[in-house]
Amino acid sequence: MTGRDLLKALSGAKGVSGYESDLIPLLTEAFMPLIDQAREDKLGNLIMLKEGNGPEPRKKIMLAAHMDEIGLVVTGYEPGGFLRFANIGGIDDRVLLAQRVVVHGRKDLPGVIGAKPPHIQEPGEQEKTVKMEDLFIDVGLEDEVLEELIAIGDMVTLAQQPVNLQNDRYAGKAMDDRAGVVVMYLCLEVLAKLSHSADVYAVATVQEEVGIRGATVSTYDIVPDIGIALDVGHGDIPGVPESDTLPLGKGPGIAIGPQVHPRIYDRLVEVAKEWNIPYSIEPCTTPRGTDAFAIQVTQAGIPTALISLPLRYMHTPVETLEWKDLEAAGRLLAMFICAIDSDYVEGLQCF
Amino acid sequence: MEKMVKQLVEAYGPAGEEQQVASHIKDVIEPLVDRVSVDELGNVIAIKEGPAGAKKIMLAAHMDEIGVIVTDIDDAGFLRFANIGGVSPFTLIGQRVRFADGTVGVFGYEKLDGMKDLKLNKMYVDIGATSREEAEAKVGIGDKGVYHREFIGQGQRVIAKSLDNRIGCAVLIEAARRLENSPHEVYFVFTAQEEVGLRGARTAAYSLDPDYGIAVDVTDTGDTPEARRMAVSLGKGAAIKVKDSTIISHPLIKDLLVNTAKTKGIPYQMEVLERGGTDAGPIHLTRSGVPTGAVSIPCRYIHTPSEMVDLRDVENCIQLLVATLEGPLP
Repeated sequence: MTGRDLLKALSGAKGVSGYESDLIPLLTEAFMPLIDQAREDKLGNLIMLKEGNGPEPRKKIMLAAHMDEIGLVVTGYEPGGFLRFANIGGIDDRVLLAQRVVVHGRKDLPGVIGAKPPHIQEPGEQEKTVKMEDLFIDVGLEDEVLEELIAIGDMVTLAQQPVNLQNDRYAGKAMDDRAGVVVMYLCLEVLAKLSHSADVYAVATVQEEVGIRGATVSTYDIVPDIGIALDVGHGDIPGVPESDTLPLGKGPGIAIGPQVHPRIYDRLVEVAKEWNIPYSIEPCTTPRGTDAFAIQVTQAGIPTALISLPLRYMHTPVETLEWKDLEAAGRLLAMFICAIDSDYVEGLQCF
Repeated sequence: MEKMVKQLVEAYGPAGEEQQVASHIKDVIEPLVDRVSVDELGNVIAIKEGPAGAKKIMLAAHMDEIGVIVTDIDDAGFLRFANIGGVSPFTLIGQRVRFADGTVGVFGYEKLDGMKDLKLNKMYVDIGATSREEAEAKVGIGDKGVYHREFIGQGQRVIAKSLDNRIGCAVLIEAARRLENSPHEVYFVFTAQEEVGLRGARTAAYSLDPDYGIAVDVTDTGDTPEARRMAVSLGKGAAIKVKDSTIISHPLIKDLLVNTAKTKGIPYQMEVLERGGTDAGPIHLTRSGVPTGAVSIPCRYIHTPSEMVDLRDVENCIQLLVATLEGPLP
């Protein structure tokens, strides 16, 4: 499987926060040639290990990218065969109108989120966002059959297969943060040809979108010497200041801020310069929001960094990113890992 | 059952000061389990031992309740206060408050331009004192008060303060009484400080290190006039949690509860709680992760002195827990 195939397969697959298990076989099969072992932990994180060749005990570097996606959950039935729903994670109500969805009931059922036609709207209705609580899903079933096939609490994903845009760009759902998972894959592809002394734990984490939960427990289990979260950052779009975004196609963002250990940041920048890998600097002032924070405050504290892929239209079904940013991020990580030795890791402990 | 619930809801136990209710629960559950202890944060931990190598399952019901804490006493003997947990000023009008030693006060409020200006800092407690000295003889800064209301049983429905979550405590106690042959090691944990941030459950789960967790707490309903939409009703059965703000129930536990309810013919309903959290949150994120779910008792008017539950739902929750604990775990 190529990295591109993996990105497309992951973007189209289902795995709402808390219900990521369908992704495990897909990931295990793709990663297996590049790793020594894989296991699923108690909350469903997929923990993959590629051993280093240094003398034991080896230092541990943990990479974390979340595999869950935002989605919807069925909350009730409405007479006439309609379903009410709520959000799982940060769904923007405005993007839901007229979307196609898949309801994961006793079987997967395609559905649509209906919209009131313009002809029969009240005056002024178009100026207001339709709230999620007023929306409904129509799968085309009668009331009785509907309740047999779909239970309250069943998950719903947006039905959007990825498309290839110009300039090797991809648009689709769940690029946040399955593109990060693909970066781990690309990193391991590079590492397969190189020598590194530290053990590399590539963790596809669960439940990031509902509160960085998977990274919390998987980090507790691994207790790495260095943790690096891979997530997405806002790509450049019209109407948003450049200072708040990362340009597409100019390499990943290397985050600097309270959740980032300054010396790991320095080393990442050095490595990028040394190998001529494009990057942007991403100031991150808020401590929460990515797996990096969960990793940083685990047990006695973990030196942590954050790499962000520029991504436009975050939390919509058309999240858009550029392939060469993924490749650059994978290479940057691989070169960073190769440059890590015990002395460097010991040095991180005196801040 | 009614008598047990009455004693539980009328016991004093604001978050952080659960000793009175804890001591009552300890006395009641002691004869029903193999061991009981109180930990450093005040959680009551009662254990029914399992055979060697048994799976460890933690049940958690919080025993603390919301309340108020005295922040200042003025020259005339009026007490100013802040909230402990989710207390609405509108709920306090006309209510009575009781302190640990039994002192009772009433809530009053300053002159306002309109009721929307009512905030806790515009309110005070009047214990009938005529001076600062007289008030300080009864109540000090930092003393905590809870709603002062008696329990009412009316047919299948009961009305009381602190059914959130003393009714969950009653469910755990009754489950401990009925559970005879569990193949598992079962921890019945009555947690402290849930109302101020799910704190007791966090440390209890860390020290017990269970294989699975089930929280038992109340949940909202959508069955009152013009209520916020929610597919949970009083009297329609035990609620099995899908999610709340602090957890997405582990599919293994959710499915185990649903399948047990179906097999045993126990009425149940699915709970998708869009706002609010439970002890299930911190439990499932303990150490390297604990598959966790929750059984909820539908409850109207949560966080008022007049919470209402249906005893048939309570019975169904007990049956569901007992049946689940008697069977194999995933």
